[in-house]
Amino acid sequence: MVNSNVQIRLSHLSRSFQEGAQQHVVLQDLSANFYEGETVALRGRSGSGKSTLLNVISGIDAPDSGRIEIAGLDITAMSERDRTLFRRLHIGFVYQAFNLVPTLTVADNIRLVLQLNKVEDAEGSRRIRELLTAVGLADRRHSYPDVLSGGEQQRVAIARALAHRPRIVLADEPTGNLDDDTADDVLSLLGDLVRQEGGTMIVATHSAKVAARSDRVLELQNGQLIADSRHG
Amino acid sequence: MPVLYKASFGYLLRHPWQLGLALLGICIGVAVIVAVDIANSSSRKAFLLSMNTINGEASHQIVAGPGGVDEELYVHLRVAGGMRNIAPIVTGYVSVDGQTLQVLGVDVFAERTFRAYTQPATGRRSTLNESTFGEFLTKPGAVLMSSAVATKLGLAIGEDFTITSAGRDYPALLIGTTQSSSSSAALANILVVDIASAQHWFDKIGHLSRIDVRLPADQGAAASILAELPPGTELLSAESRTRSITEMSTAFMTNLTAMSLLALLIGTFLIYNSVSFAVLQRRGLIGVLRALGLTRRETFSLIVAEGAALGIVGALFGVLLGVWLGEQLLLLVSQSINDLYFRVTVTNVTVSPLSLLVGFVAGVGATGLAAMVPAIEASGYRPQLSLARSVLERRTRRLLPSIALAGLAAAALALIILPLSGTSLVAGLTAMFLLILGFALCIPVMVDTVSRLAAGVAGRFGGATARLTVRGVSASLSRTGVAIVALAVAVSATVGVSVMVDSFRLAVNDWIGNSLRADIYVGVPGGSLDPELVRDIAQLPGVAEISSSRRIWLEMPQGRTRVLILNRAGPGYGGVELLDAEAEETWRSFEADGAVLVSEPYAYRNAVARGSTLSLNTPLGPQAFNIAATYRSYDANQGTVLMSRTTYRRYWHDEAIDSIGVYLAAGAASQSVMERMREISKGRQSLLMRSNRELRDLSLQIFDRTFVITDVLYWLAVGVAIIGILGSMLALQLERAREFAILRAIGMTPWQLGSMVTLQSGFIGLLSGLAALPLGLLMAWVLIDVINRRSFGWQMDMSIAPSFLLTALALSTGAALMAGLYPAYRAASARPALAMREE
Ligand SMILES: Nc1ncnc2c1ncn2[C@@H]1O[C@H](COP(=O)(O)OP(=O)(O)OP(=O)(O)O)[C@@H](O)[C@H]1O
Ligand SMILES: [Mg+2]
Repeated sequence: MVNSNVQIRLSHLSRSFQEGAQQHVVLQDLSANFYEGETVALRGRSGSGKSTLLNVISGIDAPDSGRIEIAGLDITAMSERDRTLFRRLHIGFVYQAFNLVPTLTVADNIRLVLQLNKVEDAEGSRRIRELLTAVGLADRRHSYPDVLSGGEQQRVAIARALAHRPRIVLADEPTGNLDDDTADDVLSLLGDLVRQEGGTMIVATHSAKVAARSDRVLELQNGQLIADSRHG
Repeated sequence: MPVLYKASFGYLLRHPWQLGLALLGICIGVAVIVAVDIANSSSRKAFLLSMNTINGEASHQIVAGPGGVDEELYVHLRVAGGMRNIAPIVTGYVSVDGQTLQVLGVDVFAERTFRAYTQPATGRRSTLNESTFGEFLTKPGAVLMSSAVATKLGLAIGEDFTITSAGRDYPALLIGTTQSSSSSAALANILVVDIASAQHWFDKIGHLSRIDVRLPADQGAAASILAELPPGTELLSAESRTRSITEMSTAFMTNLTAMSLLALLIGTFLIYNSVSFAVLQRRGLIGVLRALGLTRRETFSLIVAEGAALGIVGALFGVLLGVWLGEQLLLLVSQSINDLYFRVTVTNVTVSPLSLLVGFVAGVGATGLAAMVPAIEASGYRPQLSLARSVLERRTRRLLPSIALAGLAAAALALIILPLSGTSLVAGLTAMFLLILGFALCIPVMVDTVSRLAAGVAGRFGGATARLTVRGVSASLSRTGVAIVALAVAVSATVGVSVMVDSFRLAVNDWIGNSLRADIYVGVPGGSLDPELVRDIAQLPGVAEISSSRRIWLEMPQGRTRVLILNRAGPGYGGVELLDAEAEETWRSFEADGAVLVSEPYAYRNAVARGSTLSLNTPLGPQAFNIAATYRSYDANQGTVLMSRTTYRRYWHDEAIDSIGVYLAAGAASQSVMERMREISKGRQSLLMRSNRELRDLSLQIFDRTFVITDVLYWLAVGVAIIGILGSMLALQLERAREFAILRAIGMTPWQLGSMVTLQSGFIGLLSGLAALPLGLLMAWVLIDVINRRSFGWQMDMSIAPSFLLTALALSTGAALMAGLYPAYRAASARPALAMREE
């Protein structure tokens, strides 16, 4: 399903953090394209800036300079409000630390996203059932996140990220907390679901297995993205 | 309910303690406002209701000086003037079985168009008939009363009883009950009698207390009456008379309202504390929501809506609690009004929807405002997933100087308002609130500085744990700061109010001690002494001198003036402390030149001083009197004019004496003189005698009673603050559960951890107490020099008992230590593994 339409275009992104008097540069003049329907693995040492990059793409963090275009729209030029609405509609995020809402049940965690996107309740319930069945948690829909295991929580997070059929899925080490077998399950699930919907996915990961499943592997080094040598 | 709200409310429901304490804070704040409003408005309403009942349909009243209106005037107006809509009234207070009742002596024929209730409803023959009417007119002492009063006194129709007026007993007979078309509450203390009986009881033969008049709206009618009035007799509108009486208590009530607003202010701090805490603790959740696409505005609305929901629930409970509390306060308020201003019997609690609404809106509004700041904060978060704690603290610390600057600006504004606002009480109170607010805003900077310094010292002497404990306070300032401020404000209120009350009490004590010079004071309740009896008392063995006094009200269209007429005893006027004139000259012109003295409140309120003149209504018409001096007085009324008996005699033909001061001859025992006075008064007048000591104690007792309500209010404010400290200690502990777990994991014992939390809390309390001292003294100064002066015209010196300051420190430290116990227990007993897993 990979085609040559650019879905995300990053041009000359820079992001640094001020810590006291010290300037800590994380992204430096970074440019890259991501295409419709492709899955890209993002590798890099711990602290290289993978999470920062994903945050910047999703608009929950802003670059110091540079441009981010998604489907031809310059999101760096948008107002905070428009950017938020854009994210709500088009981006699904799976976080390193699950980030489920602890006060909501599994089903309600997903419903929250659907309601924000004004999906009707009846339609929403159908979608929730469908997603929970897909991630194998249909019988846990009324459970609260804190009674689920790490892998189960991560599967809920995946279902939540995909609930509103986003164009883009950003996953920040979705398997970081899981054992190998579970990680495998979760990842193939995520990959399959994204491919089904024809979305673009960027996965930040340390895992070689994940990298192997992706269409492309990119590496973050010194604030720049380079094609991973060990991969085509 | 949208899932979004479930997500955020779910958090509150998971922490019921915190939720409960936040609600309680709002609830008490609102309750105090509602309660004070109910107490004030119920007393005022009860008074207005009884005035309206007594005035009936009268639009105007003809009144004269102390002797009353000459009966001839009434006859003249009715017969020669052909006026129909007038009614004569003789009124006064009597006691029946120890209960004070108001007697309304009426001319039943003139009454019909004025007061329906003075007409008999059921009489001895159980129907409204002529014979009850006849009895009312012909039987001396025939009385009508409402059936409620009859029940209260245990009287049946046809039963004889005794009334006591001015120390004399008179027979009375209940012949029937009044028509109860008027509200029975207003009639609760009224006896209706024929005017002749009333004149007999009150020793007013040939005189009337007033003539009620119903005037058509046009001016001509008033003019034709005015033309007939002799000098010194006035035609006044009934409404303005009522107003000028109620006005006396206005300042008192305004002060109570200000106290209740203080409680709400402290409540608002706490609400702010709770809401911002709840927001801080959920910054992770808010981050997730923002990442999922919640806009800033939606985040803002979410938090404000939550605050509003809290506010609504808390305010609803507050209103309910307020109604109950209002009933309790009402007893205190009406007692004070009776002690200080005018007689009012409050049988009904009037809960006006408006007071409830005001309290409710104040509560919800305060919560809304309090939620606004954290809501703005939270909606400004970059939707990053976990805003680092340290970033947050750094941001808070960076804000501190600007907050303090805003505080200084508020205080400066207050200091500008004070000299510019003249005598306005509301402006004075506004300035006081600005000062409190301004100072409060400076507290966080002070706390930060002090705890950093203290951390160094603690580190040197107490080691790492002590350092950690002390440092924790400033390191968590974003969460503890507001609680510290709230506690400091509450404690400072106790300092301010107790210093003020204590200074005041000292001044009053001095003043009473100085004024009360006679050994025995003699009077009769609600009347005058028999002049012959007074002469006989003066002749008694053991009595050296007698001073006499008379208190009258003079009314003019501009208002009422209280005049105190004194006749000095041998030792002179030593009891009167002159403020601005030299004694000898003053007393000479007081006695010989017809000059008068004015009390300090009078001088303040009317902007007069030694050398100016004032006008009083005399039987010769309005006369100007020179003011020879101002004297110290802490009476609660609008002020008093002091006149010598000689001067009084020159204008008024009134020899009545209300009370006398008896000076004993050397060696005479006050007990035996009192015994002798009792003996010679037997069968003439039963006297009310009080020794100097007793009267002094009684006066101080009344003084203390007045401040009971203030005490209640400020203890409530302290209660609110303690709840706030408890709430924030709990929340802090909750938030630091992970940190505590790590400390436990690396080897801190539960005991160590528990003591650390408790000590930290105590340290917070100590800091609040330290901040409260200067603020409290500032408040005392404003209360004494601005609020008291503007409310009552009093001036007094500030006296600061060190014990109040120590108590305040102990109070705030103790309260915070107590509040720290439970959180400490929870911190110590949590299993580290569980706590570390918790998000
Ligand atoms: N809010 C922040 N303030 C200061 N520095 C930050 C902030 N967020 C990230 N950094 C710094 O930016 C660098 C990149 O962080 P980032 O989280 O993007 O790394 P990462 O590649 O995701 O690492 P990991 O693989 O460990 O998750 C780090 O050195 C981190 O310390
Ligand atoms: Mg990362």
